[in-house]
Formats: sequence, structure tokens, C-alpha cells
Amino acid sequence: MIKQIENPLLEIHDLTVSYDQSPVLWNIDFSLPEGKLIGILGPNGAGKSTLIKAIMGLVEPTGGYVKIFNKDLDQVRNRISYVPQRESVDWNFPASVLDVVMMGTYGRLGLFKRPGKKEKDLAFNCLEKVGMTAFAKRQISELSGGQQQRVFIARALAQEADLYLMDEPFAGVDMATETAIFQLLQEMTKEGKTVIVVHHDIHSAMTYFEWIIMLNLHLVASGPKSDVVNEDLLRKTYGGKLNLLSKVTEIIRQQEFNPLKN
Amino acid sequence: MITFDQNAFLIISTASLIAISCGLLGVFMMLRKMSMTGDAISHAVLPGIVIGYFISGSQRGVEVIVGAGLLGILATLIIDFLRKKAKVQLDASIGITFTLLFAIGIILINLLAYKVDLDQECVLYGEIAYLPIDLWITDSGFSMGPRIIWLALLNLLLVGSFIFLLFKELKLTSFDEGFGMVMGIPAGAINLALMSMVSYTTVSSFDAVGAILVVALLVVPPATAFLWTKDIKSLIKLTIGIGIGISVLGYYLAFWADSSIAGMMVTVGGAVFLISAVLTSKKFKFRLGTQSNQEAFNS
Repeated sequence: MIKQIENPLLEIHDLTVSYDQSPVLWNIDFSLPEGKLIGILGPNGAGKSTLIKAIMGLVEPTGGYVKIFNKDLDQVRNRISYVPQRESVDWNFPASVLDVVMMGTYGRLGLFKRPGKKEKDLAFNCLEKVGMTAFAKRQISELSGGQQQRVFIARALAQEADLYLMDEPFAGVDMATETAIFQLLQEMTKEGKTVIVVHHDIHSAMTYFEWIIMLNLHLVASGPKSDVVNEDLLRKTYGGKLNLLSKVTEIIRQQEFNPLKN
Repeated sequence: MITFDQNAFLIISTASLIAISCGLLGVFMMLRKMSMTGDAISHAVLPGIVIGYFISGSQRGVEVIVGAGLLGILATLIIDFLRKKAKVQLDASIGITFTLLFAIGIILINLLAYKVDLDQECVLYGEIAYLPIDLWITDSGFSMGPRIIWLALLNLLLVGSFIFLLFKELKLTSFDEGFGMVMGIPAGAINLALMSMVSYTTVSSFDAVGAILVVALLVVPPATAFLWTKDIKSLIKLTIGIGIGISVLGYYLAFWADSSIAGMMVTVGGAVFLISAVLTSKKFKFRLGTQSNQEAFNS
């Protein structure tokens, strides 16, 4: 079930990506609407992160193309924002929380120019949105996993983009923070921004995302939540593992309790 | 009575200038986890030096610096290729690259021995003690003072402006290269520019302090400073302070022990690092505040 869109915000055509001759994404073809909170679901190794990286031009596709705002990536870079996986950087780097959030403004500043008061105010504004103002001067090595994640989201906000791509922003984040971040993302989509999130937890995905992409090397589904969430497609995405998953989700629904997060 | 020893002043100030250039670059090499790439570059430039020397017929020609710069970049590209395309581990690819290039340099020296007054000893160890007698004489016969101090000054000027102009980009690409690339910052070009500056600094300093001291100055002061501070600007300042401290202390200890100046500077650097490592280890942390130590260390 793949629903295509007229005048899409993001269009991916026949995209194939391979590492060392072995393909990790096969013939991905979908288009996405503007102003939606979009989730990418799939099991480990399904190519979710690779898809995000291919959209951002960080991995070279073997075939196919990506169009954003109906243009090539290079023409629209300053309208796109990226939240990489938390583990992708060394948090021992000598920088404060504010330093890292300011990095989000570098793209608009351009080469050689230094960030000034305007950029600093913007950074503080973004820190406030993720509830991290009190930590502005804190060394990033002294943050917890959830706080690191919020710093990365604040940095992405400082890019002032129209399209946000987030790679597992909820990994290692507690329930309260997850809810707060999801609310922030929902506010952003109300302002017309588009947010694409790689996500693990099916249960919260059902609650928050409006549009869902299901991926397992091939594209299984892409469409509004109500159209694509059914047992058949979930089984196709997660294969045999779905039995376990559906049992777990069932328990969670009954008890309103998530043992993995508490 | 205090006397002004002009030779001591010249040697210490040259060593300090080189230490500052190396420290500035070394901070970013360390933050990129590429300290050993600096080591590789300092050895891999040898064939470039020999070829440049052969073409220009002089150790002072621009060709020598250009040759070394090109070889430095080539070494970086080979290391990158081995790591990313051939899937060799970083440390192994560094080991393969610089030993190979250094060996080619040695063979070239032997082949061109009758034309090139150069040996691997002088590249590896240098001799800073001869600095005051190696003068820059202008065409009109006027002596401008030691040649190497001018080279070191020019080197510091270029390295300093490089770091100053690209500070924001260097910081970002050292922390999160992918994020920088997504924003359209030319991360690959910045990396190559940094490696070129390291190559240039190595060749500009080799006949004064030798490749080994250059490596020590690239690695030891930043690594020591990083034990004391977690702020990038104080990290740079402290690195500069340690570099100067090593130069001064190394010179006088060598003078007192009547030994190699460059060797003593490296030894002092190692000792300062070890003392810092012991003082900042967890055992001592709650007894000594790191901040007050850092100040004490600087003065």
C-alpha cells in the first residue's frame, strides 16, 4: 500500500543503495505530503538510517533520485535540518550545550563569518523549546542520554528549516521526555513544518504519527496512518517477529505500562 | 648579574613559535582523533623534500615546501582510501602509508646522494643548536638574523590565520562531520586544508627541530591540555602555554645537562604529560580543584 501525492514535499524515485555490492535499500519509491509528522518504521537492519542518509546526500545511491521541494538537494540545503543518531559523535568533545546548539546556525552564516548576538538569542530560544535553558553552560560530556538527544533537537531547530529528518531521536529517552518532544514536533507540524522520524516503538508510533512509512529493505507501505496500519502490512514489515511484537503491544495496551521504558 | 644570552633567546623563541603552530594544528588533529595522522605526515613528506631539493638544488627552495605539501596530501588521501575503500583499520593504514613513503624517501636520498646534501638523520632529528649561525643574508649583504626564525614566524602567521578564519568550520567538522556536510560545509576540503597545513608546518620546521619533535609538539601539548580543560578556547590557550613552557624548560635542561635540545624538549613534554595525567586522575580530583590547578599550571 503506497500512496503517492500530488505536488509532494519529498519525492523519492526508484532509489537503490548498496554497501560493497550488497543492496541495503531496493527500489524505494514514494512521495510525502507537506506539514505532517511522518514516521519511518521497520526492524533492525531494515535500512531506515540509510534511507535518511540517502535523502541527506550522506550516502551515494546506486540508482534513482531524491527531490526535495521539487529541487535537487544542493539547492535547498538551508531548508533542511538533520538530527543524527546520538552515538554518531564523541560527547567528550570540548564544547558546552550552547556551543553545540549554535552549530545549527553555521549553515546560514556561511564560510568565515562568526556567530553573533542574533545567533546566540536563536540558540537560547531553541534550548527553551526543548527545556534545556538551565544547561546552556554545561559541558556536553556531563549530560545524560536524554539530555544529549534534546541538545541535538535544539541544534536542528536552530537551523530554522522547513523539513526535519531525525534518526532515532527517542533512543534512550525516558517516557516524559519522549512525550514532551512529540508534543514539540506536533506543534512544529502545525506551523507547516514537515518532520520525518526514524522510530522503533510501534505503540507510540500509532499514537503520534500522521503518516507512516514501513520499510524492510523494500518499501512495504507509505500512507496515512489509518490506511497503512493493519496486521498484514505490519507482518510484512516485521516478518516472523511480529508475533512477539503484537503480544508485547497487547500487554502494553492492557496495562498502559511499558516495561522497556520504566 | 643577569646577562642576555642572544643564542638562548633565538633558540627558545624559534622553538616556541614552532610549538605554537604545531599546538594550534594539533588541537584539531586530536579532536578529529587523527593525532597519528600528523605523525604519518611528518614522515611521509620525506620523498617530497628530496624531490623538491633535487629540483631546486637547495634546501631552502619553495619547491621543497611544495613537494612536501603534495606528499602530505597524498599520504592523507592514501590513508583515507585504505580506510574507507579497502576497509583497513585506521592505525594499520597509517602504519602502511607512512613507512612506505618514508622508505621511498630513503631510497631517493641514496639514488640522488651525489646531488642532494641531505640525509634521513637531519630530517628526523634536526639540529636547533645550529640555528643562530644559519643566517638569512639579503642580496645587498645585510644580515636579517637567523633564517629559521623567519620561516617559523611566517609559518605561525599562516597557521594562525587559517585557524582563525576557519575556526567555526574546523570546530563543527571535528565534532560532527556528517551534520556539517548536510549544511553544505565542504568538510572534505577543510580536512585536506588542515592536512596541508600540517605538511607545510612539518617541512617548515624539520631542519630546525626535526620530524620527531614536530610530532611531539603536535600531539603532547594538546593531549596534556585536554586533561585539564573541556573548553575549546582554553584548550587552545593552554596548549600554547604548554608548548612555550616545554621550549623554555627543555632548552635550559639541555644546556645544564649538555645534551640534545630537541631531545630534552620532547622529554620535558612527556614528563609534563605524565605529571598532568597523575594529577588529574580520579584519585586526586576531589582533593585538587582542576580550575586552580590549571591557573597554577599556566603561570
